[in-house]
This record gives sequence, C-alpha cells and structure tokens, in this order.
Amino acid sequence: MTPKNPKTQRPGETHVQAVRDTFPGAVLDATWQAADQVTITVPTDMLPDVVEFLYYGRGGWLPNMVANDERAIKGCYALYYLLSMEESDPSFVTVRAEIDPHSMEYPSVTPRVPACVWSEREAYDMFGLRAVGLPDERRLVLPDDWPQNLYPLRKDAMDYRKRPAPVTDVENYSFLYEGNAEETTQVPMGPLHITSDEPGHFRLFVEGEEIIDADYRLFYVHRGMEKVAESRLNYDAVTFLADRICGICGNAHSVAYAEAVENAQGIEVPIRAQYVRSILLEVERLHSHLLNLGLVCHYCGFDTGFQHFFRVREKAMDLAVLLTGARKTYGLNLIGGVRRDILDEQKLATVKFVREMRNEVEALVDMLVSTANFESRTAGVGRLDPSIARDYSPVGPCVRGSGIARDVRFDHPFDGYKYLTGLKTRSHDGCDVQSRTLVRVEEFMDSLTMIEQLLEGAPAGPIQTEDWQYTPHKFALGYTEAPRGEDMHWAMVGDNQKCYRWRAKAATYSNWPILRYMLRGNTVADAAIIVGSMDPCYSCTDRVTVVDVAKKSETILTKDQLEGYCRRRTHSPLAGKGW
Amino acid sequence: MFKLFREIGKAGDATVGYPFEPLDLPDGFRGKPEHNEKLCIVCGACAIACPANAITMELDDEQAYQTWDISYGRCIFCGRCQEVCPVFAIKLTKDFELAVLNKADLSESCAYETAKCKRCGKPYAVAKEVEYARKVLTSVGGPAAADVEMLDLCLACRRKADALTFQEQARPKGGAR
Repeated sequence: MTPKNPKTQRPGETHVQAVRDTFPGAVLDATWQAADQVTITVPTDMLPDVVEFLYYGRGGWLPNMVANDERAIKGCYALYYLLSMEESDPSFVTVRAEIDPHSMEYPSVTPRVPACVWSEREAYDMFGLRAVGLPDERRLVLPDDWPQNLYPLRKDAMDYRKRPAPVTDVENYSFLYEGNAEETTQVPMGPLHITSDEPGHFRLFVEGEEIIDADYRLFYVHRGMEKVAESRLNYDAVTFLADRICGICGNAHSVAYAEAVENAQGIEVPIRAQYVRSILLEVERLHSHLLNLGLVCHYCGFDTGFQHFFRVREKAMDLAVLLTGARKTYGLNLIGGVRRDILDEQKLATVKFVREMRNEVEALVDMLVSTANFESRTAGVGRLDPSIARDYSPVGPCVRGSGIARDVRFDHPFDGYKYLTGLKTRSHDGCDVQSRTLVRVEEFMDSLTMIEQLLEGAPAGPIQTEDWQYTPHKFALGYTEAPRGEDMHWAMVGDNQKCYRWRAKAATYSNWPILRYMLRGNTVADAAIIVGSMDPCYSCTDRVTVVDVAKKSETILTKDQLEGYCRRRTHSPLAGKGW
Repeated sequence: MFKLFREIGKAGDATVGYPFEPLDLPDGFRGKPEHNEKLCIVCGACAIACPANAITMELDDEQAYQTWDISYGRCIFCGRCQEVCPVFAIKLTKDFELAVLNKADLSESCAYETAKCKRCGKPYAVAKEVEYARKVLTSVGGPAAADVEMLDLCLACRRKADALTFQEQARPKGGAR
C-alpha cells in the first residue's frame, strides 16, 4: 500500500499511515473508493480506539455511521464510521468493522466520541446490532408500538409493504433528564411543533421560566425511504426519491445520492453538468435561507419583515421554476449528469433575478438588524459552546455560528465549487442565535455571487454521460452542503440494479443531538427562536404540553400561545397554572 | 422606520390575480403529462422509465388489447416519460390544476389492439408498434426492408421460419439428410 514516491500520496494516505503507526496491526485492509475516499477495515475491538484517534487526534468530524447487512456478500454485518478529515490532508476516512452475525455485538464508540450516539441507536433499531457500553439504548427511529426483534433493514426481515400490528397502545418512551435541580417542571412541546410543519416531541425541564435540560423524540414521520429504495426502485430512479427526502432541500439529497453512486462506479460527470448542479444547489439555498430569515423576523415580532422576506423569496422560487420547471423537487439529477441545460436566455434572466434579490435583501437585512428587538431577542440566546460542537459534529450555520468554519463546499470542494474564486467559509463566533442568523445572511450573499461566477464560468459541453460499467457491491460517499449543513449519502449498489444499501443522512440529523445543550440556561420564551435558529428540517409542533413534575400537573399550550409569548415575553401562558 | 415604509411603498403589489386570471408560467414548466394516443406506439419506454409507477401497461385476459394507463395521483411530474418517448407522444403541459372530486378521474387509460401472428394466430405485439416498425423498415429500404413481411409473425414462428430457411440453404434438396 505504501507508494514508492511519497510525493504522489493519495488523499487520506497520511491518516491511514498514522493509524498504522499508532495501532500496529489494526489496519486489516485499506482501499480507496474514490480519489479522496479511503476505507480501512479494523478489528471490531479496536473500533473505539481508532475512531477516537481519527476524530480527536487527526482533526476528524463524524457525519454518520452506516450499518449494513452484508451476510449475503461477506457473511457478516458491517459498520462504517464515516469521518470527514478537515485539518490536514482533507479527505474522507471510513472506518469499517465486521460484526459477527451470531453475537451481534460491538463495543460502543459513543462514550469516546459522542457524535456516534444517534447512529449507534439507529443501528440497533434497524439491524439489531447492539453497541456494548452505549449510554443511551432507547429506541430512536422505530415507534413505540413496533414489535421487538423485527429489524426492518435486515435483508431477511420483512417485505417493505408489510406493516406489523402495533404491540402497544401507549407511548412508553422515557425522556432523559440530566440536570441536578430536583424541583423541575417538564414542558413537553409536540409531537406536533412551533417552527416547522412536522412532528417532534420535545420535553423541556424547567425551573420557573428557565430551561435546565431538554430531551426530545423525533422520527414520527419516518417514511422508510431507504427500505423502499432497496426493494422497489432501480438504482437510477432513486435520485427522484432522494429529491423527496426534504421539501426544502431535496435537490441537495438528490445530488448527494447521484454522486455517491457516481463516486463508487467511477463515473465522470461532464463539467457543464457539475456547474449546473452547483447552480441549482445555490438556488435552493437562496430560498431556504430567505425562509429562515423570514422566520427570525417572525420570532422577533417583526412580522412586516417576515412578509417582505417571503415576498423576495418568491423571486427565488420563480428562478427555480425558470431553471428546472418546478418550484421545488427539481428532479433534474440522473446518475451521470443532469437532465436540463441552462440556456442563454435563462442565464440572462437568472442574472437579473440575482441582481434584484441582492438589492432587496440588503435593504431588508439592514432593517432586520436595526430592529430593536433583533439584538435583544437573539444576542446571547441559545448558546452552542464550541467544545460541545466539537464533540457532536453539528453542521451548517449551527456550527459556523460557533466560530467553527466547516463547510463541505470548501473543505472537500465538489462539482462547480472546485472552480470558484475569492470565497471562503463564513463563520461568526458569537455562538448564539444572532451569529447563526448573520452566517445565513452572508451565505445568502455568497450564494448570489457563486451563481454569477458559475453561470459565467460554465464551459459548453454535454450535460450527461452514459459511459460506465455497472459493478455490483461497490460503495462510496456522496456529499453536498445543503442550506442546513452537509448531506451525506452512502450508497452500495447490488447485483440486481438496485441499491443494496442506501444511507441518506440529512443535515439536521447531525444537529438534533446538540439542541439540548443550546436550550439549557435559556427561558421558555426563547425555546421557539432557538429551535428556529437551527432551521430544523423535521416537523412543526402544533401544541406544547407543560408538565409540572413536582405537582404532576400537565398543561397544553397551543402554538399561538407559545409564539405569542415568544414575541411579547410577558404574560407567560404558564402563569396561574399552579406554580 | 422611514426606511421600512419606503421599502413597503417600493414593493407595491406583491400578489397576482390568480385564480381570477391565468398564471404566467415559463416554458419548460413541468405540469400534467398529456398523452397523444394517436402518436403513441405503445412501446412501453415510458412505463419502464417512470420512477413512481404512474404509467403502467397491462395485457387483458384474452390478450386482445394492451392498455396504457396513467394515474395523475401517482405522477411526480419528473418528465422522464417525455424524455424517453421515441415518437414524442407524451408531453408535460403547463396544466397544474389537477384537483378532482372523484378519485377515478385522476387516471386515464387507453387500449390498443394486439397484432395476431399470421401463421399461428397468437397475439405477439401491439399492432401499432408493428406498423411503426414496418414504416421505419420500408423507409430505410435496401436489405433492412428485405424481410419486412416477417413482421407479421410472432417470435416463435419467426424463429421457425429462420431455421427452415437456414436448413434449406445448408442442405439443398437431394443432399445428405
């Protein structure tokens, strides 16, 4: 594996060598899937050591861990800890460990690297692989009424159309409280919530008005897309399903999936198609960031601003219709390229849209930041400590608002981003809602510049290639920077023209685990704006339940009450409820 | 505050007259797919390409008709059908008002007669597809059109005919058996 000439080292080589030097004999195998993606197989008991070393010792971040049922190929289960190396030698190093199909156990990495917690919980839900030493063994993805011992993603488990009968009628999920104070009150928000229109159940542990801790349960709308893709769709149609993972940033998923397969199969996408993909990714960011800026106005009680941001956002939507033929779910990606070119008159119209949006948004942002409420409602609120961020690998404006400049567009340039000049990752170090908002404002302006640069720089040429050989069981990563952070897709195609395993990690999956820390120490009135500053991609709480643990009382707040309180900050809806 | 009022004044009317007047949509908008049943040769390319299985094809029990169905309830308006159609028989229109009161109104269906084999009488393909192939072969002419009457036979009969022709060439009459 050692190259003869050290100058021609492949990306990732230094990390593999470092693991070899630190843990002699640990690297059983090292193979490159793409130019900057290497997978090393390690003995299962070395897993925590190696992942911890790469994470903290070599500047790695952990987007996700993928479990896979490889009994049909290799006679075992396998885990893939994906690490994005961002300090030196930028590359992706995947740590693979094989798991004995009889014991079904492996040592948990979570106590060493907390970022693994959701992935390891999910691996148990979906495959029944138990992480020994995992501090939190509650269910993550599967609902409370799902039968024990039915692991949906095992190859021999079930047909994707089957729906097992519910085994319980009551919710039995236990929310964890990590605070010290004894006299606390629980404030459950959800399953139907405040900012986005999707369900999630939050439980705030409060003392008076102050939030001491928070826990939450999500996945109420788990749609089983990975199972459907593996069972029903051909691998080339999955781009259209990936488009529907999210109603806001679907294109980012579609591109990430297509590039996962392209990287694995060694397909070279024509350069013009790479430019078109980047342009569409940025168009998507325009409307998404304007949506969030509008919501920030809303939470600051500046509803006029909300309306105006949404008015300008409509231009971004019109731009999307012009370029793709649809407001959302662009559906323009195929394995091997894109389906629609950007014609000259569309290019001119796009430049005009971009110019208009830049002027209007500059004026609106100016107004937003000079609103008295903005400073007082956002500065110092929802603090995300950089050390917490380091432990949990959050992504997007969330982490960039805490002074950590991580952006996959610049850390691992792909597509048209390789050809950009004069731009860099935006970050602010206030660690609060304000910083996250300012990051979004600057990124919005950068997106406009990127679109201009990309339109100008795109070379003429084909937008699709059909020139490749399909090889089963090859896998690789595909990644994009969605408006909320990096989307990471891992795909392995099978010998039947279908995905053998497809793991789609949405940006917010990495951000949920840190929300608990962002909420701590704030007041109930700030909860909505903190959740909103994460720009969560899940589902919107329609109501909030308040539980007083000491008095065992429970109150349900409506969305209007909570939002109203968030704006007024007086007349607490909790007042007069018995505490 | 003044800035805000100025901005509001500058923005003017942000709304449009829709639904009281038609909505202006750019070319290339992906709305309801329109199927031209006259042009369609029932080759099945769209049914294979459709990621959502909105377009399906089925043979009736007597194999006399091949039906082509589309369900607008399943359609995701990706436009793959339009892309793969060899005869431009399906096109995405700008029509996006698809709400109906009756679920059955969301689907459209048309049936095409199958062609029967001249020799054995079994149905083997859709008649329109066979005619299309005949037209293409005849217009190309030359050696391509030499065996054009073979189009009227089913696959099994064609194989048999081929085998017999080959036998005739390989073992002329009176030769060794």
